[in-house]
Order: sequence, then structure tokens, then C-alpha cells
Amino acid sequence: MIAYFVAIGIVSLIYALLALGLNLQFGLTRLVNFGIVAFFAIGAYTSALLALAGVPLLISFICATLLAGFAALPIGLLSLRLREDYLAIATLGFSEAVRITIQQEEWLTKGVQGLPGIPKVFASLGTSQADNALFVLLLALTALVAWGTVRLTRSPLGRLLRAIGDDEPALMALGKNPTKFKVQIFMLGAGLAGLAGAFYAHFITFISPEQFLPLVTFYVWMGLIMGGSGTVRGALGGAVLLMIFLEGSRFIKDWIPGVSEVQMASVRLAAVGLALILVTLYRPNGLFSGNSKT
Amino acid sequence: MIQFLNLLINGVIEGLVVALPALAMTLVMGVNRFPNAATGDLMTTGAYTAVILQALGVSSLLGATVLAALGTAIISVISYELIFKKLARQPMIASLLAAIGLGFLLRSVISFFAGHDQRNFKLPLVRAWNFDGVRILPSDLNIAAAALVCLLLVFFLLYKTSFGRQLRAVSDNPDLARASGIRARSLMIGLWLLVGMISAIGGVLLGMKAVVMPELGWDHLIPAFAAMVLGGIGSPVGAVLGALIMCVAQELSVPLLGPSYKLVLSFGVLALVLLIRPSGLMGRTELVR
Amino acid sequence: MNRRNLLKLSATSAALQMLPGLALAQASGVFKVGSLCPVTGAGSPYGPGMQQAIRMAVDEINAAGGAGGVKLELFTEDGQTKPDAAVLAAKKLIEINKVQALLGTWASGVTLAVMPLTDAANIIQMNTSGAPAISNLDTKDLVWRYQATNDRFGQAFAEICKKNGYKRPATMAFNNASGLGNTQGFTKAWEAAGGKVVAHVTYEPNRPSYRSELQKILDAKPDVIVTGSYLPDSTIILREWFQSGVPVKWIMPGWAANPDLVKALGNEVCEGLISVDSVSNEKSASYAHFDKMYTKATGKAGSTNVYAAMTYDMAIVLGLAIEAAGPGATVAQVNAKIREVGNPGGTAVYTFAEGKALLAKKEKINYEGASSKLDFDKFGDVTPDFGVYVIEKGELVRRDVVSIASGA
Repeated sequence: MIAYFVAIGIVSLIYALLALGLNLQFGLTRLVNFGIVAFFAIGAYTSALLALAGVPLLISFICATLLAGFAALPIGLLSLRLREDYLAIATLGFSEAVRITIQQEEWLTKGVQGLPGIPKVFASLGTSQADNALFVLLLALTALVAWGTVRLTRSPLGRLLRAIGDDEPALMALGKNPTKFKVQIFMLGAGLAGLAGAFYAHFITFISPEQFLPLVTFYVWMGLIMGGSGTVRGALGGAVLLMIFLEGSRFIKDWIPGVSEVQMASVRLAAVGLALILVTLYRPNGLFSGNSKT
Repeated sequence: MIQFLNLLINGVIEGLVVALPALAMTLVMGVNRFPNAATGDLMTTGAYTAVILQALGVSSLLGATVLAALGTAIISVISYELIFKKLARQPMIASLLAAIGLGFLLRSVISFFAGHDQRNFKLPLVRAWNFDGVRILPSDLNIAAAALVCLLLVFFLLYKTSFGRQLRAVSDNPDLARASGIRARSLMIGLWLLVGMISAIGGVLLGMKAVVMPELGWDHLIPAFAAMVLGGIGSPVGAVLGALIMCVAQELSVPLLGPSYKLVLSFGVLALVLLIRPSGLMGRTELVR
Repeated sequence: MNRRNLLKLSATSAALQMLPGLALAQASGVFKVGSLCPVTGAGSPYGPGMQQAIRMAVDEINAAGGAGGVKLELFTEDGQTKPDAAVLAAKKLIEINKVQALLGTWASGVTLAVMPLTDAANIIQMNTSGAPAISNLDTKDLVWRYQATNDRFGQAFAEICKKNGYKRPATMAFNNASGLGNTQGFTKAWEAAGGKVVAHVTYEPNRPSYRSELQKILDAKPDVIVTGSYLPDSTIILREWFQSGVPVKWIMPGWAANPDLVKALGNEVCEGLISVDSVSNEKSASYAHFDKMYTKATGKAGSTNVYAAMTYDMAIVLGLAIEAAGPGATVAQVNAKIREVGNPGGTAVYTFAEGKALLAKKEKINYEGASSKLDFDKFGDVTPDFGVYVIEKGELVRRDVVSIASGA
């Protein structure tokens, strides 16, 4: 019984890490990333492939985070020259490009067949204890990242970045160069997503390109804006809401008799769409918490 | 050489069909200043309406398409009135997210009622004309012709009517346009009706060429966007040129990269254009910071 | 309502949902079975029927007095054809409902993700997935596969090609594990017999046109094209092929070349097309029995869902194994009986009731299933026979049956 909740907790925390990463990118620097699933995928595949080749998990996790972060460099540089909605679509295209590349380069990733048998974290503890230990680890890690994000936001660097959002010329006139910091933050956010991806791979133990579709990105966005982006509390709250939404829909079919289970997938998609529309219309602070306190 | 010609023909035909959503996106981009990510799903809506009408007994494909175009146009206008008009003062990202949400909503409603199975237009099958290895399908020619006619009508509308002139004025310079007294509201409604119609027709043509499935439009969103950017946002001619060049390039790349990397090519072109010449081939709207 | 209340409400309602599960988990004298079919997602054409078939079988077993002195209790969840959703669903079934067997996973990705969980819980797993990797990872011999592996499908294709005298096959594969698995299996078998595949193309899903891909294949002048494809893409490809006017034969999997394909394209295009599928054991009484029940329960013929016949067999085999192991048996003991009740070496039986009666007399049985003969090899995989159908005048007519040797 507890094991089920622990499993849900683990997945929630993975989404929370993703949300925190996205929150860094969007909440702090206003860089719109519709391709965060790409870094999630890069992290997952890197750690999985290394671990399957015998590399110790600690190293594979670190590599996953670093690789995902560096993969963000070209996008980060591109983002400096693009208006936000162009960046949005460009990052979306990027995530699909990454997914297709993963899918096609079978020699490396086993392509569509996927990678089964990925070792679990804390495998030596035996299954149930392993999950409990993983949950505790993730909890501590998420708390650490959350705390780190808050510190970053309140630091001089953070204040600078929050100012960047709309007034770049003014900043530059003051002699401060924001671009380097923006890119760094972007890469940091991507690295977090990569770390989340590594945890994901080692928890589900099987990954394939189909699990890294743009829908994942939009789930995280949905969670983030429902929770209130720009705030760490918002990112975490959003992840929890997202989990309730995704797992709760399992129980909904028992409540709504008329809907066939086949139609549940449509209902879930409709709910995401509706949520996106309604939040942008009626909760603009979900997107732009200009006065947020973190 | 033969292979080159065949690929070229494929590319041109697909390009003409992609030109329609690219045009729809560039119009909205130019006037409302956000990428309407729901364009793809408007296409899907149009395709489904037409194919279901045909299945219900509407014998004329043209008739079904016209009805589908009208229906989609109405949905498009409603989406403007209820959603995008209200988001006009918000940063663009809000409209973009809402458009994505709208796309999901449309797709889920369609799949809820119509299921996920494919549907097909009832069309007569004809053999291709074979010119020494260069193959041309009459049905493809019909599709291309239909797309061309549609494009010409839209261009006529944009360049030869006062509606079109006002639209282009607002696109180029909204403040000046407002100052000169152009009535924004009826213009907007007209625009969104047009956008809905173009998207629907694009969807029907695509569905005729392939099969009608809920993902029909969404899969063409990125190529259409790339085409728009390539051609220069706000430029209708640019959108069409962009679509043609993009699709031809995709087809010609197949012998080299294989078919799976076509989408990656779109993205690559997109990134390149944004880096080198952000205004696109024919556009003037600035899209850099 | 504000967020906090929403959270509280959701947590409470989720908890309330669990109560019935908790209560029943305490009850003894039941064997708990979990079903994790792809009710939504890519497998949704088959999932609901698969789940229904399991329920049918469980009801049938209970009506015959149960198995091993207890009744079977069924818990169903939707795997959504996604590994991550399936993992959570499996966790729920295993941890909350405490199922002792998990049946009905369809996509290879789902089975591969769920196997570590069922193995860790030491419970039985039965699936209809095709990926060869499943056999390799089945270290505890608790996993039972009721569908031919992609490899075997490919071998069947190769056998059919040989029988028909084709010399220059080309392959086209849908870019996913199943599509590629089929064509790679074919290529492996074909080349092992000394042949050569003249061209191959892997194509992307959801494209409006496959002209260039088809062009590449036709340029190599094959006499037959073997596909690992699905219905939408097959429709497009065949339509474009027909309009090109190039003569060539087609061999396709049965889930692509089915009555819906004929409906979409018309008789002329589909004439002569060869459709291959793991044949339900159609001549057997077990299939007739299943078909009747399935048609009554769903309104559709059993032939429309080959996976439903498989999941039906899963539950029946499980029931017979429980019966054979006797009252109070552990899961491991039940598991050990599965080959005994399915493989040759006993009297052939075609329904649960028949099998139960013979087992009561301490006789050995061999359940011949609705989906196939159910002879499990050392990996726990079955080798269904393959039905070779030719589309003639818009109808699928069975022309041949191909058997691949087990353990291949």
C-alpha cells in the first residue's frame, strides 16, 4: 500500500525537478522553452547507456546532468537572438529533432526497440527498500534544488536576471552584460531536466523515444503555470497538481459511467488543453508573477 | 535525373498543400502578432468535417469542403472572440500557450466522437501518368490545382480588395492603421474567418492525399511554421515560397538523409534562417530582440 | 476553490477510492488476478476487447466452481500503452490489490517496464508483446508470452515468400519496435537461407505521403514487398503504389491488411494482397467456445481481435494451472504447472470445465487454446501458427497455414 504512494511520490518529485528546471529558465530569465523534454531525454539516455555499460550510477547521473546542460548551449545562444514566441517554436522543433535522432541512431540508442533492464538506484537494498530510499533521496535533492533556486533568485545575480525580463537595453546601458548569465541559467535549468531524466530512466527501467514526446513538455508547463511560475512554491505545487491529474484520471473512469475507457485519453488531452486556455485567460499571474516572492 | 524530377514533383505538390496553413499562420502572425499553434488542429477539424459529411451522404466533395471550410471558419472566429482577443494585451507567450491548448481541445473533441481510427475520402483511384519514369498522379494534380486556386483567391482578396488592403495596413503598422480609422473589429472577424477557411481547405487536401487522423494537422505545424519564418512573417507570398522551398528541400534530402530526418531538416532550416536572416526571404517584420 | 482545498479534496477522494481495495485485500480464499490492458493509447483498438476477454474467462472459471478450491477475483487497470503509466498502474495492482498474476500487457515497452516489478513481487506475468528482449530478461521464468515474437513473424514471412517462389523481396518498416522487428526478423531468416533483400526502407509514422519511400523500393525492382506496417500507413502506401502502376506483390501483417484496409481502398487495389497473422486456433473447439462468448459480450466477432483470444487463454491457462497445483498452492507452484497444462503430454481439452474434470481424476491435460496450441518453449513463449490469407474480391480467404518450429 505504502509502496504505491512511494511510487507516486517518486514520479511527482521527478516532475518537480523538471518544473524547477523550467522555472529557472522561464521564471527567472523569461526564456520560453517548449523543448524541455529534449533535455529530459538526453539525461535519461545518457545515464541509461552509461549504466548499462557498467558505469557506476553516481558517475552516470553526473554525466547525464552535464551533457543535458551542455546540450542547452546552442539553444541558449540561439535564444539570445530570438523573440520569445520564436524561441518557443524553435525549442519545440529542437526537442523533436532530438527525439528523432535518438530514434534513428539505433547503433547507439537501440532506437525504437528501447533500452530495457536499466539498473535501479539503490538496487542492492532490494526492491521495496530501494524505492523508499530513492524517494528519500529525491525528496532531499528536490528540497536542495528548491532552496538553491530561492537563494539564486534573491542573490544580486538573481535580481539582475529578473530585471532582464523586459528591459535589456536599460541593463546594457548600465554596463551589465546579461547574456552570459542568461545562457548559464538556461543551461542550469536544462541540467536539472537531465537529472530528472536520469532518475526517470532508472525508476521505470525501460526507456524508448516514444516516452519523450512534446506532450511531456506541455504537461510540465501546465503544472508550472497552474502552480504559478516564477515561484518555487508554484513549481512544486504544480508538480503535485500534475500528478494528481495524471493518476487521478485513473480513478475518474469509475466516477463517470458513460465514458468508455477508450475515450478517457481524449478527456485527458481535452483537460490539458482546457487548462492551458483557462489559465492563460483567467490566471495571468500563473504565467507572469511579476510580484512574486518565491 | 528521373529520381530528382520525381522528388521535385513530390515536393512541389506537398509544398502547395503546406502553403495553405503557412499562409494562415503568417496572416495571424502579421496582424495579431502571435503564432497560431491551433492552425494544425483547425486543419484537422476541416478534414474531419468534410470526410464525415461525405460519409453521411453529401455526394459532392466540393460541397463537403465548402461546408467544412465554413464550419471551421466559425470555430476560428469564436476562438478569436473568446480567447485571442482577450489575450491581445498580454505577452505573446500567453496567446501561444492558449493556442496550443485550443489545438489539444479540438483534437480531443474530434477523437472523442470520431475515434482514433483513420478515415478516408471516397475518391476514384486513377493510374499515374508515366513519362519515362517520371510519375505524375492526376489526383495529385487535382490537389495541387485546388491549392493553387485557393491561394490565388486569397491573394486576390489580399491585394485587390479594400479588405485586403486594410489587413495589410494593419499588419505593417497597427498604430497608423488605427489612426486612419480602419474598423478593427469587422476586419478581425474577416481575418479569422479567412484563416479558418484556408486551414480547413488545407486539411481537406492533406486528408485527400493521405488519411484523416486526429494528428493530421499537428504533424504539419512545425513545417508550416518553418515555412512561414523562411518566407518572412507577415508576407503571404513569402509563406507560399517558404512552403515550396521547404517541402522540395525535404524531399530532395531523402536520398541523402533518409525519410526519418525530414522533420529535423525543417528545424535545421528554421534555425539557420533565424540565425542568418531573421527577417526571412521577403519579410520585414523584426523578430529578434 | 484555492489550491490547498483542491489538494485536500483530491487526496481524500483518492483515499476513498482505495478503501474497497483495502477491504478485499483482507479477504482470503481468493486468487487475485490483475489485468493491465492497453485500454487507451496506441493499443486501444485491442485493449478493451482484451480486458473483456479476461473478465469472460474469470467469470467462466468461477461459474465452474473456481480453481484450486478458490474463486478468482479480477482487478483491471488501463496501461495506456505507455511504460510510465503502466508502471504506476502495475504498482497499484501489486501493492494495493495484491494481485498474484498480472495479465494482458500488449506493448513491448509496457511489458519490459512491468516485468521487473512482477519479478520482484514473484508473481506471474502474461503478455502479448513481440520484442525478443522479453525472453532474455525472463530470468525467473515467470513471464509467459502468448504472441509470436517479431522474429517469428519475420520467419513466417520468409517461409511464405519461399513457398510462393519469390526471389527479390524488399522490405518497408513502420518506424517502431514492432514494424522494424517484423522486417528485421524477415531479413534475418531470408538471408540465413541464402537469399538477398533487394531494398529496405524505414518510414516515419503520420506522414501524408510515402511516395519517395515507395519510389526507393520500387526502383530496386522487387517482386514482393514485405511490410511491418499498420493500417493508416498501409493505406497511403498501397494507394500510392496502385496509382504508380508498377506490378508487385505485397505481404503484410494481419492487423494492417484487414477488412478496414479493403474498405478504405476498394477491392481492386487489394486484390491478391497476402495478409499474415497468428491464427487463432480456429479449427479447435476452444476457439468456437471463445468466439461465441466474445461475440455475445462485445457484439464483434472473435476474428476482429486476435489479442482477445490470447488474453482469454491467459486466464484459462492460469485457472487450469491453479487447479493442477491444488488447494493452498503458492504462486511459484502454480507457475510450475503452466507448461504442464499447456504443452503436449496429456489429453487434449478445449474448455476450462473439461480440463478441471480431468484434473480431478488426476489425469494430465493439454489445453489447446483459442489463440494457438499454447505450447510454451523454454522461454515461456508460444509459437502460434500463422494463417496466410489472400485478399480475393475484397474478402480475406485463408489459403495456407505456416508453422514455425518452437525454440527457433
